[in-house]
Amino acid sequence: MKALWGALIIVAIALLAALPWFGSDVLVQFGINALLLAVLAQGWNIIGGYAGYASFGNSVFYGLGSYGVAIAMVQWELPFGVGMVFGVLLAVAFALLLGLPVLRLRGHYFAIATLALSQVMAAIVSNVGIAGQNIGLVLPPLNNDRLFYELALGLLVIATLTIWWLTRSRFGFGLIAIRENEEGAAVMGVNTTLYKVLAFALSGVFSALAGGIHAYWITFLDPESAFDISLNVKMIIMAVFGGAGTVLGPIVGALSLSAISEVLASEVTSIAGLFFGLVIVAAVALMPRGLADMLRRFRSSGWRYFAENIRAHRL
Amino acid sequence: MNSSMATAGSALLEVRHMTRRFAGLVAVSDISFALAAGEILGLIGPNGAGKTTVISLISGTLAPSEGEVLFQGEPINRVPAYRRARLGIGRTFQIMRPFPGLSVLDNVAVGALFGHGGGHTKLKEAREQARASLDFVGLGRAADQRADELGGPSRKRLELAKALAMQPKVLLCDEVMAGLNHVEIEEVIDVIRKVRAQGISVLVIEHVIKAIKSLSDRLLVMHHGEKIAEGTPDAVLADPAVIQAYLGKKRA
Repeated sequence: MKALWGALIIVAIALLAALPWFGSDVLVQFGINALLLAVLAQGWNIIGGYAGYASFGNSVFYGLGSYGVAIAMVQWELPFGVGMVFGVLLAVAFALLLGLPVLRLRGHYFAIATLALSQVMAAIVSNVGIAGQNIGLVLPPLNNDRLFYELALGLLVIATLTIWWLTRSRFGFGLIAIRENEEGAAVMGVNTTLYKVLAFALSGVFSALAGGIHAYWITFLDPESAFDISLNVKMIIMAVFGGAGTVLGPIVGALSLSAISEVLASEVTSIAGLFFGLVIVAAVALMPRGLADMLRRFRSSGWRYFAENIRAHRL
Repeated sequence: MNSSMATAGSALLEVRHMTRRFAGLVAVSDISFALAAGEILGLIGPNGAGKTTVISLISGTLAPSEGEVLFQGEPINRVPAYRRARLGIGRTFQIMRPFPGLSVLDNVAVGALFGHGGGHTKLKEAREQARASLDFVGLGRAADQRADELGGPSRKRLELAKALAMQPKVLLCDEVMAGLNHVEIEEVIDVIRKVRAQGISVLVIEHVIKAIKSLSDRLLVMHHGEKIAEGTPDAVLADPAVIQAYLGKKRA
């Protein structure tokens, strides 16, 4: 069974990796976006899904990663790779600096405290000369969608392997214990403050890398699009839709929701947003613990699974 | 075990003049006691006497307003809860809050991964340790169940197994017998006796007087946050002040 799963996953990765050689340009561009969103959903999964802290600050990591690459390449004329490292350093510094005070807040308070961060960062960056102020930066164009696609896929694989490692490591068990019962975790010897900050930083690393790839691909960024709270909302919806706190759930969520929103945008165009909203509402009502949980439980409870969820919601 | 010996420097755990106030309410008032190595100390008192607060102050989830906690002769007031756990202080919770999303085995494995001395670093070793703890409390067969599927009595055992997997030197038990029937209480008493036989000191909070009388070497009685009696179970339970606290003035 385990070997079968392993083989299936390797075949799936190989097929995805081969896509730019037989898919259309539009499909590849859709793929880059969807894969980067999946990386963001996985990044959020670490702090939100495993440690149980619903972060609205992950779009800041994404923005810092974008600006790290842009500043390094435009202002200092350094290679892309160095820019990625710079972006990651910015994100980690931000996570450590902000994580210590903000992660003391639990539950909704943490979410609210991180909610304003994107706008604050956008305002700050608008006034930083090296970041192009509110006009933004234009990066040197590189017309190679295949490369960006493979970079995004590679990053997603690394992010997912990291999360798989989490599920079988001391660190990951500590995070789950914090999510389930933080006081209980502390009296069992989990250094909760350290673990939360590390999870926030690790979450930031992947978000920043995704931001860096996106910036170089799009070749333009400004404060509004780099620090966009709606991107953070997307990460959360995708991770939760697929199954937060599972290894593969956020990927499934990101890819399926990207596809649904793409189809809706081309089929019903102007009211696509409405239909997308309906999909989300239905998902929350029928399978609040995500696709991963639904697939697992559906086998034992069948259609009753949906009825039970609706009853649990008192709808 | 007599009390003068316990306070004479051989104490593993010592509480000195500890007070905890919550916005005007004095939950614990000037409490002092010692727990010797290998001793079972029973902590009793009416509801709201401050017993659970004492355990929280020792395990570090609450900070005392005044007074000191010493573990192995060292003051630990400034030591955070997670490091107290690694020093060897394990506790159970009265309101059982297992990690519901994890299997019973993995709930206990958390204790083995992080417990006394920093725990095991390998998940496989931690799970072996966890399995041993589950067998020890008689919950071995439920290892693969989800923790939130367990019934009340089994959750009490799970709380014990989680704390024991930390391989503590002191075990603080907060009402591990509440809600159990006679047979189950006897079984838990056996488990606690076995724990002590391994050289672990135990502080037990309990309402079931009969159980705690047979189990404890000494009893400490709290009422309105204050210590009103301490000594051998027989002497303490015959103390008029204790009877008055439990039954009211008229009966005493």
